[in-house]
Amino acid sequence: MGVLDNLLFGFQVALDPNNLLFCFIGVVVGTLVGVLPGIGPAGAIGLLLPATYRISPTSAIIMLAGIYYGAMYGGSTTSILVNIPGEAASVVTCLDGYQMARQGRAGPALGIAAWGSFIAGTLSIIGLMLVANPLAKVALRFGPPEYFALICTGLILVTYLSQGSILKALMVALVGILIGNIGLDMVNALPRFTFGLIELEDGVGIVPMVMGLFGISEVLDNLEQGLGQREIFETRIRHLWPSLKDWAEAKWAIVRGSIIGFFLGILPGGGAVLSSFVSYAVEKKVSKHPEKFGKGAIEGVAGPESANNSAAGGSLIPLVSLGIPANPAMAMLFSALIIYGIQPGPLFIKNNPDLFWGLVASMYLGNVLLLLLNLPMIGVWVQVLKVPYRILFPLILLFCLIGAYSLNNSSFDLILMILFGILGYLMKKFKYDAAPLVLAFVLGPILEQSLRRSLMISGGSFMIFITRPIACTTLCFAFLLLLSSIFPYIKKRRHEYREFEE
Amino acid sequence: MKAHDQASSLFWLLVSIYASIESIQMGVGALQKPGMGFITFGTSVLLGILSLALFVQTTLKRDHAKTEPLFAGKLWKRVLLVLVALLIYAKLMPMAGYIVSTFFLMSFLFWIVKGQKWWWVLISSFLTTLITYYVFSVWLKGQLPEGLLGF
Repeated sequence: MGVLDNLLFGFQVALDPNNLLFCFIGVVVGTLVGVLPGIGPAGAIGLLLPATYRISPTSAIIMLAGIYYGAMYGGSTTSILVNIPGEAASVVTCLDGYQMARQGRAGPALGIAAWGSFIAGTLSIIGLMLVANPLAKVALRFGPPEYFALICTGLILVTYLSQGSILKALMVALVGILIGNIGLDMVNALPRFTFGLIELEDGVGIVPMVMGLFGISEVLDNLEQGLGQREIFETRIRHLWPSLKDWAEAKWAIVRGSIIGFFLGILPGGGAVLSSFVSYAVEKKVSKHPEKFGKGAIEGVAGPESANNSAAGGSLIPLVSLGIPANPAMAMLFSALIIYGIQPGPLFIKNNPDLFWGLVASMYLGNVLLLLLNLPMIGVWVQVLKVPYRILFPLILLFCLIGAYSLNNSSFDLILMILFGILGYLMKKFKYDAAPLVLAFVLGPILEQSLRRSLMISGGSFMIFITRPIACTTLCFAFLLLLSSIFPYIKKRRHEYREFEE
Repeated sequence: MKAHDQASSLFWLLVSIYASIESIQMGVGALQKPGMGFITFGTSVLLGILSLALFVQTTLKRDHAKTEPLFAGKLWKRVLLVLVALLIYAKLMPMAGYIVSTFFLMSFLFWIVKGQKWWWVLISSFLTTLITYYVFSVWLKGQLPEGLLGF
């Protein structure tokens, strides 16, 4: 079957009334999560995960993916109208989006953000469709050494691209690997780091972990900073359809944002946040009027908003073709698939054509639904924005508690989530990024499995990672990345030392 | 930030020492046949090295800026109270049941932010509890604990 036949088959799956309903629920929840600061797409996926056990895996994945790309749409609304990003990926949209709103151009800003998101989202799905399958076929030739090299590189990329200190990100990733190894050993079935607790023998659940690290910690942080009412820029939202002049100024920003977002989305740790920042920097660089940026340039909204949506599609590629999640939200999807008994990886598309092509087609439909939700219904989201945080935070906490409890009907998961909430809160205080921890937690067991198998195959020789070309090239790339992050530090130290001597 | 980084690096160093000792006790094995403590040992040793590197890097940094206190102001007490309430809820919910424990938790959370009228707090908590119970237990058929009172 060709791509078009597969896509038609996908539309048959996605247009099933049940799947369509779950796609709609997913994008609505996603937009809500994007509009409201506090829980984030990974936390929201975790929250709804237990509710999906009674529906088919296809419907569930369609809904959970809808939350992720829907959140990217919703994030722009708060950035433009309140100057507070609902999502980290929309931080950069504040710079020009809010300025446009102050100049009475909230309508075109919201309009171009929604249209840019729609176009970029659609282009990235085409990319996903064309790249994922061939990559999965290549990945079929991968053995344990290649997987070990890929995961190492992925983790180093995550730390390299994470916010703040690379050293701290690497440390956090190692902690993630340690936490990922809690539970029964896969060879001997003996407990590791379980502290004598039976509940830990199955390992730490990703849902309590993600909800704690991203949901609870965010609420605690906000509680400490005070719960002042957000100031919504009071303006009439008119001209949601951007003018021809707006389109002329924004069209290439959308195209560039889509391309940047797609490729950065594929990289582990890249994703929506990084791509929006890179897109903004590129737009400012190529603009004939860089001085307009920060003062209401429409390209400064169109580029990043396109990039973060495109990244959402791109980040599905490593998940479905290699079985490697690129960011915490994908890690949640990875875990969801495992719970449904589906193994993400090279055989995923071959073994689950209905799921993969149904998901792809649902993303086309989801993008159309999001456009309808975000333009004509913008007034509704503005009203949602007006809900005070003192009412929101108890609800966010309660949803997290229900989500964590419903997974295994265990109060142990609640305590685990609260402990991760405290850890996440302290990590924010000490400036540690939580994303590498989650990814390393998910990838840790695969990393261990591939390392142990590789060493068994080679009779204990690490040369297996050098003699196999793909593994060697990937590890060399990771090594170069590490070196490139160390050099600026050495240069800075030498400079400081010279200054000190003088 | 200097003192914070020093403190956190020492914390991770302690974690790495503990994990290394545990891993050795579990059995590191040999390269030809790695044991169950093999990867955790390697990981914790690396964590220890990086923690030391962070400690040294921070200590050598010529940063004369005064370290901001981690918990400035009085609002951290609110954070602490919320955490205690959540932990009590987690422990009590299976015994007291979802409806009773959630009603008390919600009342506390709505109340803790000053300026709410008591009747508003009670009505909001009651409605939140009932609506979430209906959605998650009745509609989505989740198993929320009934507790000793049977609801």
